Amino acid sequence: MATAPYNYSYIFKYIIIGDMGVGKSCLLHQFTEKKFMADCPHTIGVEFGTRIIEVSGQKIKLQIWDTAGQERFRAVTRSYYRGAAGALMVYDITRRSTYNHLSSWLTDARNLTNPNTVIILIGNKADLEAQRDVTYEEAKQFAEENGLLFLEASAKTGENVEDAFLEAAKKIYQNIQDGSLDLNAAESGVQHKPTAPQGGRLTSEPQPQREGCGC
Amino acid sequence: MHALDCAGLLPIFSLPLPPLVCRRTLLCCFLTSCVSLSSAAPPLPSSPARDHHAVLEAAGPSHVAISAISANMDSFARGRTAILKKQPSHMEAAHFGDLGRSSVNYQAQETRSRLSKTVEQVLRDNVALPYYLQLLEARGAEHLARFWLEAESFRSTSWSRVRAHSLNSVKHSSLAEPAPGPASPKSPDSPTPFGTSPWAEPEDPFFSQTPSGPLTPIRVNVLSRLASTGSSSSSRAGTPVKSQPAGALRELSDKLMKSIERDAVTIFTKYVSPDAARPIPITEQIRNDIVAKICGEDGQVDPNCFVIAQSVVFTIMEQQHFSDFLRSHYFCKYQIEVLTSGSVFLADILFCESALFYFSEYMEKEDAVNTLQFWLAADNFQAQLAAKKGQYDGQEAQNDAMILYDKYFSLQATNPLGFGDSVRMEIESNICREGGPLPDCFTTPLRQAWTTMEKVYLPGFLSSNLYYKYLSDLINSVRTDEFVGGNSSAPGQGTTSDSDRGSNASEGSQTQGTKKVAVKILKNFDEAITVDISSLDPESLYQRPYAGRMTFGKVNELGQFIREAEPEPDVKKSKGSMFSQAMKKWVQGNSDEAQEEMAWKIAKMIVNDVMQQGEHESPVAKSTKVACSRVLHTVAKSTKVACSRVLHTVAKSTKVAYSHVLHTVAKSTKVACSRVLDTVAKSTKVAYSRVY
Repeated sequence: MATAPYNYSYIFKYIIIGDMGVGKSCLLHQFTEKKFMADCPHTIGVEFGTRIIEVSGQKIKLQIWDTAGQERFRAVTRSYYRGAAGALMVYDITRRSTYNHLSSWLTDARNLTNPNTVIILIGNKADLEAQRDVTYEEAKQFAEENGLLFLEASAKTGENVEDAFLEAAKKIYQNIQDGSLDLNAAESGVQHKPTAPQGGRLTSEPQPQREGCGC
Repeated sequence: MHALDCAGLLPIFSLPLPPLVCRRTLLCCFLTSCVSLSSAAPPLPSSPARDHHAVLEAAGPSHVAISAISANMDSFARGRTAILKKQPSHMEAAHFGDLGRSSVNYQAQETRSRLSKTVEQVLRDNVALPYYLQLLEARGAEHLARFWLEAESFRSTSWSRVRAHSLNSVKHSSLAEPAPGPASPKSPDSPTPFGTSPWAEPEDPFFSQTPSGPLTPIRVNVLSRLASTGSSSSSRAGTPVKSQPAGALRELSDKLMKSIERDAVTIFTKYVSPDAARPIPITEQIRNDIVAKICGEDGQVDPNCFVIAQSVVFTIMEQQHFSDFLRSHYFCKYQIEVLTSGSVFLADILFCESALFYFSEYMEKEDAVNTLQFWLAADNFQAQLAAKKGQYDGQEAQNDAMILYDKYFSLQATNPLGFGDSVRMEIESNICREGGPLPDCFTTPLRQAWTTMEKVYLPGFLSSNLYYKYLSDLINSVRTDEFVGGNSSAPGQGTTSDSDRGSNASEGSQTQGTKKVAVKILKNFDEAITVDISSLDPESLYQRPYAGRMTFGKVNELGQFIREAEPEPDVKKSKGSMFSQAMKKWVQGNSDEAQEEMAWKIAKMIVNDVMQQGEHESPVAKSTKVACSRVLHTVAKSTKVACSRVLHTVAKSTKVAYSHVLHTVAKSTKVACSRVLDTVAKSTKVAYSRVY
């Protein structure tokens, strides 16, 4: 496979965390494959997937690390939090317990990632309105109190899935622009590729978008 | 608890101590009066790292880069186990808990990266330790580390002194480590006439009560018995004391015990006593406990007397300083040192998150990400299973293992890795084992995946653009930190926009010497990277001999003159302060150098692009023409911002490039060079006119 060195200017590292069964892997799969995995098995340890998006005219590749939610994997998954530019903290709107555990996930995230890591709260399974157990308002308030972005999404229908990843990317990009995130620092979770000058696409045919999940 | 009250003896201390005061009271009062001594501290682990650093700095950074990369490329298989074996293999987990996964080594050596450290590892690592000390010094907390190190060294040397002594005195005494053992003495043959030790600690029953005073045969007996009870192997304990010449024995024992005492007192005065220059923050209770252990009623010093204080200090170092250390430029410097030491191992990359970030991207580009994914999943599975210890759930483990099997091994696998039948069957039997799979279930395919990554992909990674980028990011982290006043508590997250960074650069404040040297390294490393990125094949590295040649530079394939003699006296030397140098360096586009550099980059891109086009099947003339004109058109658009000088340079370089390119194109399409030249000239003329 031909490598296209200038296909994207940045790589952002994301992690997805949250209780087991909230739909982390499904969100990732929906984002990278645009498909809903009905019976996906639970994640063993970690997996990662990638996709290229565009923010402010810049092509950005997201390297998204999907962690296992089971308690028994908590110790091993903690080592993947380091150096993440963005974190998606997911809960299930139809199961209150997953919402209640958010403080514990947030503590881990804050302790183990950079101070500038962008954390976005995602209330998944928004399509199951009938079984809703957590209101939008209270989650929104929780997010605001803790300085998090917030979205309700559905991996099944695809609603807000792209936005979830995009919003975080926009915030990260903004942080880079205003200088609060040093993209040349080793643990920033951002890889910056030397780019062609603005507007310079020097190849004659457009490169095929590599949107597939890496696995 | 024997609280020693020496208050009544206080008046004595203003006078030189009378020789008749009994040893015990002398010692205790000495301690409680907190008379400070100036004595040499036991030498800290020597820092060869510092010398190494000096060598690196003197040699020049591009030299470092070059040697690092060329060394990396052929050293990955050499001496791996040797280096990994340097890691401490015994840690007294009982004192400090299970830090990290050190105690569970289901996969033998490969569970650690030299780039990721725990506090314990740093304190025992001669390479990393100086950096940690630097951070602590910046925070005024280095006495914590120094106390810990001295106490640790005291503890182990005291035990060996005791052991040495016991070897002399008791013929069959064993050599076991003083591991914490049960409190009961293991020598039923020679029951202590003095009752059990007052220190009923689980640690070790080193003490028993004996009257202090001159060495008596009873005391010898006790000492030997103590030594044998202190050992953890019980088989030969309790051998009766041989009758040895009492004089020699007495002298040796005395010397050893005195030296232990002396060291204990030294450490006490330096760190523990409230009157010390930098007392460690421990409670009064702990302090009294230490005093009690040093002046035991029998006159023996407990080698473990500082252990509790050590753990207190350790906790402080871990909780208050360590995570900042990991984010600081000191740690980056350490990582740089490891990465440029000449041998980087796969374990270093895979077990360090920031390196893994880059490696994952590399594996994806190499279309080998499945191997990595499998390794991550299976390794994590085994790790968590091994950590279970008594809560093992066979069904759960089997379910997990089956998920991996379905994904990577089964005949209908979604992500087949190409493992052979024998491996597959082995996995099947491991998973279907009665009672559930064990933590070594996937060891064979893991080993294969590891070897594949190590032999096939790691060398490429270590000479890749991505790895360069990783190194330069590390260096940039150091640079940013040091320019923002070298403040260790504000690591790397300082402002980076050009003007801000310029304004934050401290002019001449603190550690001028190291900063200057560091900047020199970083600046030049950056140059080296800038040059190298445009010509990424390893061979070209070897084509620039540095050793012993009086060359000023050479002309590369683009007709660009590359300086090799450094520093460049006319151009690079400090024109103005470091501050303005930094400004110029970072504010790209405002200096002629930067523009020219950009021009060369563009030229190279054009060359690459045209070469790519030329390799296609389509007719030479057409594709070259199309490619050239489109390329130049785009360049014109994009370099509109730049000055005409850029265009001029581009034209110059493309002209030079084209001859090379045409040669390649002609070769690959087997068309006469002249015909190609003609066509290209025509198209170039067209393009040039449009550009101008």
